[in-house]
Amino acid sequence: MGIQGEAKLVAIVDDDDLIRSALQGMLKSVGLPSQAFASAEEFLASGQQQLTACLIADIRMPGMSGLELQARLNAEHCRIPTIFITAHGDTRMRMQALMAGAVDFMAKPFDDGVLIESVRAALEN
Amino acid sequence: MKGRSKLEGYSLAMICCGVALAVAWPIDAPSSCFLLAVTVSGLFGGLGPGLLSVAFSSIAFEYFFLRRTFSIATEPATYLRFAVFLAAALLITGLMETKRRVEESRSRTEEALRQSQADLERISRLTTMGELTASLAHEVNQPIAAAVTDGNTCLRWLARDQPDVEEARQAASRVVQDATRASDIVNRIRSLFQKGAPQRELVDVNEVIREMVVLLRSEATRHSMSLRTQLEVDIPRVMGDRVQLQQVLMNLMMNSIDAMKDVDGTRELDVKSRRGENEELVVSVSDTGPGLPAQQADQIFNAFFTTKPHGTGMGLRISRSIVESHGGRLWVTDNPPRGASFHLTLPTKIAAHD
Repeated sequence: MGIQGEAKLVAIVDDDDLIRSALQGMLKSVGLPSQAFASAEEFLASGQQQLTACLIADIRMPGMSGLELQARLNAEHCRIPTIFITAHGDTRMRMQALMAGAVDFMAKPFDDGVLIESVRAALEN
Repeated sequence: MKGRSKLEGYSLAMICCGVALAVAWPIDAPSSCFLLAVTVSGLFGGLGPGLLSVAFSSIAFEYFFLRRTFSIATEPATYLRFAVFLAAALLITGLMETKRRVEESRSRTEEALRQSQADLERISRLTTMGELTASLAHEVNQPIAAAVTDGNTCLRWLARDQPDVEEARQAASRVVQDATRASDIVNRIRSLFQKGAPQRELVDVNEVIREMVVLLRSEATRHSMSLRTQLEVDIPRVMGDRVQLQQVLMNLMMNSIDAMKDVDGTRELDVKSRRGENEELVVSVSDTGPGLPAQQADQIFNAFFTTKPHGTGMGLRISRSIVESHGGRLWVTDNPPRGASFHLTLPTKIAAHD
């Protein structure tokens, strides 16, 4: 299953409430609708995977990590272009994420402009 | 204050000698009365007043009693009697002074010990805070990063041909929220660094637990551990020192985090609070680490017991002594199927009323 032509939704998965609302606000200001989830589990339980055209996820979260989420989605053949933003990133993690198909890997604090460009690029493909 | 008590001491010496003189005359027991006067002066007045009373007593003894009673023919006996009296008086004064010095030295020692314990607690706190630096920095940086994003969002709304003021307002108020959160965390960290004598006030233990959870959340996440709380609503408050209680909770939670670092499988840290029996508050900190070392369950509270390569071994010992100084108990049990649970009780204000 791939991304449907209609799907334009950006999903945000981060355990920090302030980051979630900041990202949603940012995407709204460039005209991109988004939905935020407090955990990877919440995202998977929502059933929104099929409608999601781009996923912005934190790596380290209590419970399932961002990388585990990516693996789970790959296993379900649900390939969503994923951008990781994380405070804990190191080179090895970056390699791991990119090899598993991540579109981009950014450290926090991230550059808003770069993130928006990444999301737009992911939505266009 | 010292000057005033010196004056009081000398006055006391004079009064004692006067009374002794008045009493010695009718009952004809001059030695006993004057020696009693010397004892009281030395005991309550100190060395100076003691010696003053020796002087006065000796003069009074000699003038009023020895001269009258004995004729010149028995001068050697008179002098001997006087000498014995003087020796006794000086000995008593010396003994009183020694006693006073010993007591003063002991109370200085006790004070130094109290200070050392407070210093040790503080060092232990600082050491733990040092271990948390990376995650505390992260905890502060998250809201700041969110503030930057929200600020840029605000600018973006205003940069449009038709600025959306309402959206910009919402973004700006998010910036305030973000910065307030960052400031809040800094304040909590700061309160843990403070020095000072233990203060007693009414403390809401649930609030203390929540504060520690905020500070340790990043550390737990960094090690892929879940951190959950189950706090009974409206638990009564505890009369205690807030910083010390924070330290105990931080110590127990950090221990659990450390224990679970190398564990495969679930890594859960649970903190619970509830009302116990006897108007007590019960707090439990449970982990899914390797659990208690066999047969060593109570040894872990001993000073210098540690399983960490760079541990000080003082954390649990200090925690237990803080809990006990608040009138509570700290103990550990197994947390089946795997892990340990630390429990502590604290008397609540209601109990403290009797």
